[in-house]
Amino acid sequence: MKRKLGLLLVITMVITMLNGCGSNTNTNANTDADASNKKEESKSNELTVWCWDKNFNIYAMNEAAKIYQKDHPDFKLNVVETAWDDVQTKLTTAVTSGQTDTLPDILLMQDNALAKNITNYPDTFVDLTNSGIDFSQFAQYKTALSTVNNKIYGVPFDSGTAVTALRTDILEKAGYTINDFKDITWSRFIEIGKDVLKKTGMPLLSSQAGSPDLVMMMLQSAGVWAFKDGKLSITDNPVLQKAVDTYVELVKSGVLIEVNNWDQYIATFNTGKVAGAMTGCWILASVQASDEQKGKWAVTNIPKLDGIDNATNYSSVGGSSWLVLSNSKNKDLAVDFLSKTFAGSTDLYNTILKTSSAIATWGPASTATNYGIAHEYFGGQKIFEDIIEYGKKVPKVSYGVYNYEARDAIGTAITKIISGTDKDSALKEAESTVKFQMGQ
Amino acid sequence: MIKKRISMIVEYFVLILSSAIALFPIFWTFTSATNKSIDVLAGRVLPGAKLFENLHNLLKAANVGQAMLNSSKYSILTTLGSVLICSIAGYAFEVYYTRAKNMLFNVLLLSMMIPFAATMIPLYTLFGKLDLLNTTLGFALPSLSTALLIFLFRQCAQSFPKSIIESARIDGASEIRIFFEFFMPINRHTFAAGITVAFMNNWNNYLWPLIIMQTPTSRTMPQLIANLTSGYVTDYGMLMLAVSISILPTLVVFLILQKNFIEGITGAVR
Amino acid sequence: MPKNLEVKSRQDVISWVFIFPAALLLLITKFWPIIKAFILSFQSGVGLNTSFSGLKNYARMLQDNLLHISIFNTFFYLLLQVPIMLIIAIILAALLNDHRLKFKGFFRTAIFLPCAMSLVSYAIIFRSLFARDGFVNLILTKLNILNNPVNWLADPWMARIVIVIALTWRWTGYNMIFYLAGLQGIDPAVYEAAKIDGASAFTSFRKITVPLLKPMILLTSITSISGTLQLFDETKNLTNGGPANSTISISHYIYNLSFAYSPQFGYAAAVSFLVLIMVATLSFIELKAGDRR
Repeated sequence: MKRKLGLLLVITMVITMLNGCGSNTNTNANTDADASNKKEESKSNELTVWCWDKNFNIYAMNEAAKIYQKDHPDFKLNVVETAWDDVQTKLTTAVTSGQTDTLPDILLMQDNALAKNITNYPDTFVDLTNSGIDFSQFAQYKTALSTVNNKIYGVPFDSGTAVTALRTDILEKAGYTINDFKDITWSRFIEIGKDVLKKTGMPLLSSQAGSPDLVMMMLQSAGVWAFKDGKLSITDNPVLQKAVDTYVELVKSGVLIEVNNWDQYIATFNTGKVAGAMTGCWILASVQASDEQKGKWAVTNIPKLDGIDNATNYSSVGGSSWLVLSNSKNKDLAVDFLSKTFAGSTDLYNTILKTSSAIATWGPASTATNYGIAHEYFGGQKIFEDIIEYGKKVPKVSYGVYNYEARDAIGTAITKIISGTDKDSALKEAESTVKFQMGQ
Repeated sequence: MIKKRISMIVEYFVLILSSAIALFPIFWTFTSATNKSIDVLAGRVLPGAKLFENLHNLLKAANVGQAMLNSSKYSILTTLGSVLICSIAGYAFEVYYTRAKNMLFNVLLLSMMIPFAATMIPLYTLFGKLDLLNTTLGFALPSLSTALLIFLFRQCAQSFPKSIIESARIDGASEIRIFFEFFMPINRHTFAAGITVAFMNNWNNYLWPLIIMQTPTSRTMPQLIANLTSGYVTDYGMLMLAVSISILPTLVVFLILQKNFIEGITGAVR
Repeated sequence: MPKNLEVKSRQDVISWVFIFPAALLLLITKFWPIIKAFILSFQSGVGLNTSFSGLKNYARMLQDNLLHISIFNTFFYLLLQVPIMLIIAIILAALLNDHRLKFKGFFRTAIFLPCAMSLVSYAIIFRSLFARDGFVNLILTKLNILNNPVNWLADPWMARIVIVIALTWRWTGYNMIFYLAGLQGIDPAVYEAAKIDGASAFTSFRKITVPLLKPMILLTSITSISGTLQLFDETKNLTNGGPANSTISISHYIYNLSFAYSPQFGYAAAVSFLVLIMVATLSFIELKAGDRR
């Protein structure tokens, strides 16, 4: 027995080592072959792309490839499915260690991270300002997000246009319709919300505790962010003060219930615990998960802040953009590909809208036939047309290099205020936290 | 007699309770794999009828077979390699104790005390220079020697009777033979523990495989699972099924090796 | 005794050969990066714009409130969770070593399995278990232990407790494996003899099991200290550091500094060295106390 075990381990050791070396040379050969292939082919026709959602942006990318292939039959697209957090980790690691040849030709980036990455690694991404892509055809707030030092780096992709989605059957029970929520102010929203809560026992909204999304959405709806001309603006920001007050009132009045995390947030409206959702329009894909709620939803714009100049009923949460990497061996192909598809094909947007509800931020797309479709889940409302209209009115802001620091700090401040800390000291603390991070 | 019976009842009670607490979340994962996404979110614990639908969706959404193969290959390779390399080192640190070796051992221990986030980028830079990016060797190298395993085998060698070594030497056994023919079989419970723990750690390793391997064909199970949660809409039933599949290899390894925990030292020497 | 000396020195050479592969691998894959990180810890700046700044990063840690919170949280986990987990693991291992027991294989497997679980699903399940309308509240209110459901993850202290429970759930079986392996080295005859001498089960646990497990207790306490001070997975996935940073750990903060925020690698490296120093200090105190030489 003992002899056998010893022998077994020696054998496995030998196999392991041989196998280790063997597969090493194999993979080496493979990568070499890949690399040389890449060099040869990529000159003409192959692109690698990192993005992360099978039913959404990966699907869209593959559809774009099909369209591009019509005129470029040799064109090949290689999508590497990579979760967003992992895209960020791999990007940071590759750039910091100088190994940029491991990066793809194109990658998708969350809008929240655009300014941070472009500012920190300006040479990593291709300046697309004079690339021939007509940026004036995109929603202006989207191009503003990838503009750093007056250079545009990103081709806008999916829309983060903010919407209010509500259950019409619940509203009806309380004697309201979706039109009562159109173009209103937050104080009116809370007033109706309280009434609905009283009559039906159901809160209108839910949100993730500690997430600053709603407050940031309110900021952008007034054309403001946590930074002003590159300087931190928290304690001296009247819009932020108002947004925080509004959020706290939503929670205190019971019109909005806080849950602890994302899956519970989705569950609140999927399982009928709340009567609506308010965030970027991408949430509509999750809203449609329940068969029982089919036909009982409707969409409108968001409320505007009371007593704030420039306040609007339009904003944005989330969304993403395509970036071309300067290290790409065929930048020109990558740029041309994007300009003929995401910045030039109504057909593309028409196709991906139907299957994946990816709403364009490219103006001409709204002429595509599918945008006029009456959506069954939303009681026959032409939601895409409406959302495109909202998108045109979203105020421009710049999220800034320290966006994540500010978002975290504001999220923390909101949690503290709701659990009893007074607003001024919580915001003061948030400001000093972000200032500290900016002090490097 | 009654006292003995009571103590047995208490033992069973404690073990059944602990097993139930340990198993409940796993049981829930398995039953969730048979439910619709919306039911998983609603907290349904009972099994449902959607197993095949989830399986169908999962196979359509991701290359599970390849990820399982990659993870298995990598985990088996690094586990066997690391247990061998580290067991012999841990044994040597204890059996041939000197002050210098003890000092070196203490220094080596430091390697497990720093967060990986701090050393990942320098390691990646180094491997880039050594042309190890995208290679199996680059993938495996950081897991082949770990302070944990060296430490484990050193601690285990402490209770290994010196008399066995002495008498083997008198019989003319070489030092390496003593390790393979006496130390290894007698301590096979520790080897079983080491293999189990190393396999589990390697199987769940996330960050390093993620950054070192660039090709989609080298995706591991943890990466596949992470990708399933990264979209705007997550199919929780399908996700739980992927997780259920992912847990199986570690379970199999444990079941194969666990009989080694039953036979004690006396069984081995005889 | 020239021959004996020769044997000794040959053994010495062989012993270094045994150690060499492991040591060399650690040198390349761990110590080289650690040295690089150490050098980096004297540089400050954001992204690629870094320059030598002496001890600035280390001085900066004194003013960093978020770091102080994360140190506090991490030590809370350490002091509460590590002892509880190790004590439970030893007790379970001792129970499972009872030769009269049936279904050992099942119990062992069941208790070990949690550590094999993928973090993604375990986070989802724990969040669901500890939700306001979750399973834990249901049971506790049914048993009349609680009058009103607790919103576990929304309360700073309760959220920390949930992290401790989750960690204990996941890692107890893992540590138990080491004890089980250690217990196999103990001759059952020792227990029989103790029983004949009239020792109670508790006495033989305290007088025989624990002392004989000393090497493994040292191992598990050092790895647990190290693991807890580098805790990241649970706080990132279960609570994402919330509510209001009350569960954020040091490693989670290092991750934020490196990958979520505008990267400050020099500062992140300095914080990492703080972790190294803390773990090393605690470990070497234990090693000294546990050294039988």
